[in-house]
Amino acid sequence: MEHKRIAILLACIWTIVAILPLFFGSTNFIMHILIMCLIWSVVASCWDLIMGFAGIFSFGQVAFFVIGAYSSAIVSARFGIPPVFAVFIAGGIAAVFGVLVGLPCLKLKGAYIALVTFAVHMILEPVLKGDIGRALGTGGSRGILTIAPMNIFGYTFSSSNPVPYFYLILLVAIICSAIIFLVIKSHWGTAFLALKDSEEFATCLGVSAFKYKLMVFALTSFLTGMIGGFYAHYVSMLSTRMLGIDLFVTLMVILVIGGVGKFPGAIVGAFITIALNEMLSPIGAYRPIILGAMVVVLVLVLPDGIVGLVEKIFSKKKHRFTH
Amino acid sequence: MIKVEGLNAYYGDFHVLKDVCLKVGKGQVVVMLGPNGHGKSTLLKSVCGLVDRVTGSILYNDENIAGLKAEKLVNQGITYIAENRELFGEMTVLENLKLGAYSRSARPFEKKNLEKVFSLFPRLKDRRPQLASTLSGGEARMLAIARGLMSNASFLAIDEPSLGLQPNLRDEVANIIRQINSQGMTILVVEQNIPQIIELADTIYVLEEGQISFEGSKEDALSNDHLKEIFLGM
Amino acid sequence: MLIEIIDVLISGLINGSVYALMAVGLTLIYGVSKAFNFAYGSFYSMGGYIAFLLFGTALINHYLLVFCLAIPLLLLFGFFIEKLLVAPLRKRDDWEIKVMMITLGLALFLDNSFQVVFGSRMKSLPPLLEGTFEAGEFILPYQDVAIFILSIGGILLFRWFLNNTRTGMSVRAVAQNPAGAQIVGIPKEFVFAATFAISTVMVGMGGILLAQKYFITPTGGWDILVKAWVITAFGGMGSIKGSLYAAFIVGLLEAFVGWYFGMTWTLIALFAVLLTTLAVRPQGLMGKWG
Repeated sequence: MEHKRIAILLACIWTIVAILPLFFGSTNFIMHILIMCLIWSVVASCWDLIMGFAGIFSFGQVAFFVIGAYSSAIVSARFGIPPVFAVFIAGGIAAVFGVLVGLPCLKLKGAYIALVTFAVHMILEPVLKGDIGRALGTGGSRGILTIAPMNIFGYTFSSSNPVPYFYLILLVAIICSAIIFLVIKSHWGTAFLALKDSEEFATCLGVSAFKYKLMVFALTSFLTGMIGGFYAHYVSMLSTRMLGIDLFVTLMVILVIGGVGKFPGAIVGAFITIALNEMLSPIGAYRPIILGAMVVVLVLVLPDGIVGLVEKIFSKKKHRFTH
Repeated sequence: MIKVEGLNAYYGDFHVLKDVCLKVGKGQVVVMLGPNGHGKSTLLKSVCGLVDRVTGSILYNDENIAGLKAEKLVNQGITYIAENRELFGEMTVLENLKLGAYSRSARPFEKKNLEKVFSLFPRLKDRRPQLASTLSGGEARMLAIARGLMSNASFLAIDEPSLGLQPNLRDEVANIIRQINSQGMTILVVEQNIPQIIELADTIYVLEEGQISFEGSKEDALSNDHLKEIFLGM
Repeated sequence: MLIEIIDVLISGLINGSVYALMAVGLTLIYGVSKAFNFAYGSFYSMGGYIAFLLFGTALINHYLLVFCLAIPLLLLFGFFIEKLLVAPLRKRDDWEIKVMMITLGLALFLDNSFQVVFGSRMKSLPPLLEGTFEAGEFILPYQDVAIFILSIGGILLFRWFLNNTRTGMSVRAVAQNPAGAQIVGIPKEFVFAATFAISTVMVGMGGILLAQKYFITPTGGWDILVKAWVITAFGGMGSIKGSLYAAFIVGLLEAFVGWYFGMTWTLIALFAVLLTTLAVRPQGLMGKWG
């Protein structure tokens, strides 16, 4: 999709989201869901950036999110750093891990990268629960039970009054999406298109796969880690349950619905998926069955997600006008 | 034997062949010339069922085979020999040849065709247990042709057999083609670097920008200035 | 102490043999069609549940019957899943990601269906053979021997199939050169579906064989998927020999690390070995690129 169209779509999405509190502001429950939508939209957009856009099959997104969440909680508790700074430090820590994970992946292909990054995800749980984790302050298998709430210029955001928190996270999400948009628009964008098409050829032309891939790892893990920090200070408690398969699958469903590699599909996908999740929760155990079936059907019928469908509709209209 | 009419071929949205018409009579040798990248391989592949999207008609003994897949067509005696050879590198020469006889119609004749192929290509007989990836360029080319012959084909579409071959091996290729043609094989070949093959041609076609720009005998071709350009410009 | 070590060794070998069967299945699909089946773990569980169901009907009380019924079932299931879910995606761009996603959706669907139908409590299967072999302090259940023999038997059968049957040769051909296979008249799409079906049988059998020792749960398959994945990556994706060696190495490593350091360290140890191997040889022990 052309960059101008992406920008317009982004603006529309954010405008709509921004006025949602006008309708739902009084219902804390819905506001909570919307905040989670925003948080997952950032994580999913980062995953879309590294997987759909840069073509790197990284499965470590959830791991970086959890690393960021735990880091921010621990840093603010142990070193007394105010949460508003802790989240950025958390992003930095996640970014360091991102680079550490990315380095061995540079020489690997496709499914191998998925395995290595998924390995990080799988190892994280025993590490956080075990002795190393407890020494760092992760609370072992109990997790962290109290985390300082976000506090900016003396105003404490509490989860009992979610509307201000909503706008804070919205701001963060908008900034993150702007950063991602700039990356796609920039020469990084062209570099990745070239690398995805034919890596050998692009490297001959001087496109440094090494540099770009590492930077994508660093950026996506930074943003994901940072939003993980915001999550921690919002929900005030953390446990390793986040590393279960549910979150991973939810993020994948978001990408399927939104469209892989079709930014800002991940944002649209996040809202739709979380809303769907909530709507389906009364049926309890049948929910994941329906979600699974939905994913299967969607991948077959709407391979490029909703954004892809919208693209197709618009390009058909364009054709009609030019004939 | 083969009559192509109004053939259009596409790779995705890319329109490669535009309303191509072509005739190859039984037992003939027809040569296809033209600049690179203009669709010659696509044309051969289309006839052999290796292109996904084709429209138009390809009559094989009066039956329209356009759009049928290679698995069916190999069984009916139509075989493509790729310019990239596409051999099975980790299998032996013998295994490659045996796989050439994979189709149901070719299996009963596997032994007979092996003998025939070994008499045409004695060097391959020596190299039977050798892995295909260890063959030299010339031997690999011979193996590709031999494998094609194992399919018991009556029509061969040969794509640039001289590609990557030293000049002295080109004579060998020309000999092989003459021999199999004399045994009754109908051949459509893309080749401009082997004059003996062009000598052999019953008809010459030129494909430019996905369309036939010339059709005629070799005498017509030699007296055509535009074609001389193509010959000399190679 | 020696008895303990031998016990661990045998346990590692037996697990390794079943891992080998399942890893070969996974590497087969990847080698032939470059697809990654995220529902592989669910197919493992499915094997166990099919056996459980069959044993539940009063008529069937012998493993031989179970195998005779389960194998064709798994074969057909795998074949149709490939045709319906994977084959249509091949023409699209980014199809590898899409295959991963659709199989992930399938896994979600299957795992939770198992949960709803069978409940989340563990199910078990009767042992293949009763009784144990005893020599002093050394105890070896016949069941374990049977598992080992069946797994190795399955692998050998598969090897025979690959090298000595026409379909087997066509599978090798498609794996080595899909374009060449098409030229020669091999029905590529059929081979893709057939190998997917065969791999389903392999992992389903693995599920049946291991279910008698370790129970069947709706989500137990994920561990298996990760292990099979690690093994195939370690051995080299697409290399059957590599998967074989890797499976036994992993089985033994897992047994010894679990015994000496505790089970929680096994996964970390596995990944550590995998990562170091990939750092030195990015294509795995015996993998080839292309």
